[in-house]
Amino acid sequence: MTAELAIETTDLRKVFRNRWSGKEVCAVENISLRVNRGTTFGLLGPNGAGKTTFVKMLLSACIPTAGTARVYGKDTKDPEARRPIGYLPENHRFPTYFTGAGMLDFYAALSGVDSAKRRKLIPELFERVGLDPKWMDVRVGKYSKGMLQRVGLAQALIHSPTLLVLDEPSDGVDPVGRRQIRDVLHALEAQGVTIFLNSHLLQEVELFCRDVAIVNKGRVVLEGAVSDLTAGKGYKLVAMNGSGPKEWNLGSREEANGKIDDLRREGFSIESLVPTTSRLEDVFIEAVQGKK
Amino acid sequence: MTATFALIVDTFREAMARKIFWGLFGLSLLMVLFFLFIMKIDVVEGATATITLFGQQAGPRDGVEIDRMVKQVHSSISTFLYSFGMFLAVFASAGLIPSVLEPGRIEVMLSKPISRAHLLMGRFIGNVLVVSCNIVLLVGGVWLIFGWKTGIWSPGFLVAIPTTIFIFSVLLTVVVLAGVLWESTAVSTMIPVVIMILSPILAQEETARRLLSSEWSRQLWLFLYIALPKVFDVGRMTLDITLGQGAGSWWPIWTSGAFGILVYGTAQWIFEKRDF
Repeated sequence: MTAELAIETTDLRKVFRNRWSGKEVCAVENISLRVNRGTTFGLLGPNGAGKTTFVKMLLSACIPTAGTARVYGKDTKDPEARRPIGYLPENHRFPTYFTGAGMLDFYAALSGVDSAKRRKLIPELFERVGLDPKWMDVRVGKYSKGMLQRVGLAQALIHSPTLLVLDEPSDGVDPVGRRQIRDVLHALEAQGVTIFLNSHLLQEVELFCRDVAIVNKGRVVLEGAVSDLTAGKGYKLVAMNGSGPKEWNLGSREEANGKIDDLRREGFSIESLVPTTSRLEDVFIEAVQGKK
Repeated sequence: MTATFALIVDTFREAMARKIFWGLFGLSLLMVLFFLFIMKIDVVEGATATITLFGQQAGPRDGVEIDRMVKQVHSSISTFLYSFGMFLAVFASAGLIPSVLEPGRIEVMLSKPISRAHLLMGRFIGNVLVVSCNIVLLVGGVWLIFGWKTGIWSPGFLVAIPTTIFIFSVLLTVVVLAGVLWESTAVSTMIPVVIMILSPILAQEETARRLLSSEWSRQLWLFLYIALPKVFDVGRMTLDITLGQGAGSWWPIWTSGAFGILVYGTAQWIFEKRDF
């Protein structure tokens, strides 16, 4: 067991058994996954693939039927293993009686942050996630979906975690907010925080994550670096000069960058650069449909 | 310690956000204020000369022994606590356990570096403290006012504070178990209320022994009487102490306590194994 790994699961399995009928459903089937310290990792999968159950087992909210889950080498059954984790669930339901600041104060206290530090951190975090501090004393029941998502992210960051587990972090957030959240996450990545993203937004994962695992029917069907999995796919570049728009189909990101440099030197203005397909989407569909 | 305090404060916050808790506090405060401002007692040579309500003389005309009158008020408050008050407290608390287990809320709490046992205990203690404040306000307030107005400081009445908190805690363990099992406020309310209703019936154990025809039904009655919390018996014990008649047997306290420990232990065991 090495502490170089932020997350390590070995044959993690979860079977849900109906209390009355005794019928069993295997949600996670022997997943062995390694997430390196400091990486940005995306967990992908169709609905019902077992992603959320997997995440819940990492947090000990769900008890594994078999196998082990470790965070920085510690078994997640041990509450101390969760100290470095910041978590934002998908369908969070923060108590509406909390004010924004009260909510952060409560969750920080549960993480063992002392009161002086909490008082200092709360306004800072509000600004960091793009919330106006004037909302600090407003009850979260009055917050919009996007604001709840931001204050939820602040809650996950309040104790300076080194592993951030996010379930659909930009769900309900407008494009500007998404960008802000991504910037926050990039800043954390630069500080060496490991980010584990569970999202169905493939473009978001592709933009942000270095490594991914695709889960289907409780099993990991594909995993690796995003750059490796999407290698060989192309971009469509449109540029204009005096004679009108011209198109180029380019095989890689590097090639596209090179071409843009050349065209700029030749006096072209770049109109657009788009992936010829949503590349990770192709990989995803192939993986879950078993074509690869 | 920080986490435990946070869990307790959170329970207070949630309790205050529920209007029924304000109702409880309001009721207690109203009773205290009633005795403080509305009722005026004139004592002459150890007997009540006049009791004035809303400025009107309400009697007694012949003079009642002040000591007896204070004890009557104290025993009325005790009876209120063990009947209507206990029901209100259970009714108000029943939602506080299932609410914390709501999907989307429990996962965030479980992701923090605290054990499940710690989380449940923090919530339980918070809940007990919320109701304790209410009991202390009512019993302590009435005790102080009567002591101040009559000069009679009857310490027996103060026993109502620990015994009421104790029996509420025992009933709360049932709320916790039902909440952990079914996450339903309705079920969490119903079961302790049924126990409260059964308590005075089961306490008629000697009468039941005479009236029941079969041995197994007598044994079942006895078993239920021994096993379930003795709300009625503890209430009667409190009343006896209030009236200065002594506690009698402490057996209802021990058996109710054992019930509470067993039920809470079971709730915690289930909570430790539950998936969220």
